[in-house]
Amino acid sequence: MMSAQASAISQKSSQRYRTERQIAVIAANVFLIIYIILALYPLFMMFLNSFKSDSEILSNPAYMPQKWTLESYQAIFKYHGGLWRNFVNSAIVSTSSTVVAVFFAAMAAFAFAKYTFKGRDLLFALLLATMMVPGEITVPTLYIIFSKLGWLNTYQGLIVPTLTSVFGLFMIRQYMLSVPTALIEAARIDGASHWQLFWNIMVPTSSPVLGAFAIIHFLGVWNSYLWPLVVTNKRDIQPIMVVLPNMTDPIIGFLPVWGTIMAGCVLATLPIIIVFIAFQDKFMSGVVVGAVKG
Amino acid sequence: METAKPVATTQAVAVPAVRRRKIRWGDTLAPYLFITPFLLSFIILFIGPAAYSFILSFYRYKGYGTATFLGLDNYKTILTYHVFWTELRNTVFYWLAHVIVLMAAAFLMAVLVRSTLISHKNVYKPLIFLPNIVATVAIGLVFQSLFGTEYGVINNLLGTKIPWLQDYGYARWVVVFLLIWHGIGWWFVIYLAGLTTINPEVEEAATVDGASGWQRLRYVTLPLMRNTFIFAFVIDAISSFRIFNQPNVLVARGGNLANPEMAPVLNMLVTDLRAARFGSSAAVGWILFLLVLVVS
Repeated sequence: MMSAQASAISQKSSQRYRTERQIAVIAANVFLIIYIILALYPLFMMFLNSFKSDSEILSNPAYMPQKWTLESYQAIFKYHGGLWRNFVNSAIVSTSSTVVAVFFAAMAAFAFAKYTFKGRDLLFALLLATMMVPGEITVPTLYIIFSKLGWLNTYQGLIVPTLTSVFGLFMIRQYMLSVPTALIEAARIDGASHWQLFWNIMVPTSSPVLGAFAIIHFLGVWNSYLWPLVVTNKRDIQPIMVVLPNMTDPIIGFLPVWGTIMAGCVLATLPIIIVFIAFQDKFMSGVVVGAVKG
Repeated sequence: METAKPVATTQAVAVPAVRRRKIRWGDTLAPYLFITPFLLSFIILFIGPAAYSFILSFYRYKGYGTATFLGLDNYKTILTYHVFWTELRNTVFYWLAHVIVLMAAAFLMAVLVRSTLISHKNVYKPLIFLPNIVATVAIGLVFQSLFGTEYGVINNLLGTKIPWLQDYGYARWVVVFLLIWHGIGWWFVIYLAGLTTINPEVEEAATVDGASGWQRLRYVTLPLMRNTFIFAFVIDAISSFRIFNQPNVLVARGGNLANPEMAPVLNMLVTDLRAARFGSSAAVGWILFLLVLVVS
């Protein structure tokens, strides 16, 4: 039993603890909020500046638009015949690549996760090891092969090299390992074919990881630069990411048309941000699965 | 499901010998069929080209006509070419300059967000991660507009005319800044996940033993996160050597490649490719691989 004095002291120190803690909480939140404001500032400016006309940007780069206008967005469609086509290119390439890549990786992951076959573990380890090899090493060869096949400046040329993803294989297998095998066995006993096991059972059950990988892969292809730069030189077929930097070309205008460029950037980034906001849980858990081993 | 079980057991008990011989072909073949598309495309699109490029690096080949065997000449030429060393220096600079700040910042934020000081975790998480999903090309252009000398936003706000992107001394740091800005979100999420795997009982035990917040961090959390840190550093190192988008988009105009003063090693691969010096281009790729191996 504490004396009155002792309880008064302990009350005071617990109160001090509480205020210290309150200060810490406020400080932590303030810190994070400031960080977020600073970090998102470039994106904010990108957005803001896309609503200025090209001429206004030169006189007023940093502050609110004096005249909000959609001029720059219109310019996107007029610029050198319109950049509309390039957005479509990006969409076509990214979507087809994602569909195939997810499909291939899911099938393989299923085999590695739920079947036993000769050489399974060795093969998987080897595949993992190849993740150390930089993908760019295949660029000269693929370029030569594609040029002989006539695949330069084509959709296939853009899509095909992106179809295998060991990262995806790893990620999906990781998830599938935790799907109870009993589920599969039960269906097997019921007479399901292997394909049915995959398509009707495994795929629906793994939809979270498939969705997460799809988003990550789509993003990767949408944002890619080096390969599309190398394999295309005709504007019609180039994805938007390759065309966008060209707009800063000093030959065409004396100064880059920043308003239009910003509008282009917004349009190139907006779909991703929307998808992200809609699926953010899956997205970030996907990143985690890829990293934290089991 | 209930009916299946008894059927199976009676079958197994009744005719064990027959069952053993009746191995369905489908059973053994199935997994191989499943991995075939992946494996096939992997071999055709990766293993094959990588091996071919290895062989190619010993030749001079212009894409048509014959290839002349050069032995190690391609490698010798590259390794004695001063531009290569400049670019290598740049790449290493970009890597080392960003990695410490990036990892420290991402980790601190993860600790902060995880701690009990923050309640709206699900609001902060996506916001912190957001910069990471923006395309490096798009954000490179945005940074160009921010850091422009005459019309840049930052110069405008500060009233200065600092040649952020035209003076290569400054420009390098802008690239580093971009790398950090872009990467924090990604590693933040990974560290956060790593932190959640730490058994809370361990942390509680430490607190009970009288450890302060800082001491807990130093002696309990950090050691337990060691594997995650190692993983993070290695992965980041590997991707740092492959850096391409950021320096080029930030500094170059009109989709051209950056001046060698600023360029990373990969630029040499692309220039060689465009000049149809395929053997040399392949050699650059393999040198890059060696560098990656050395670093890991």
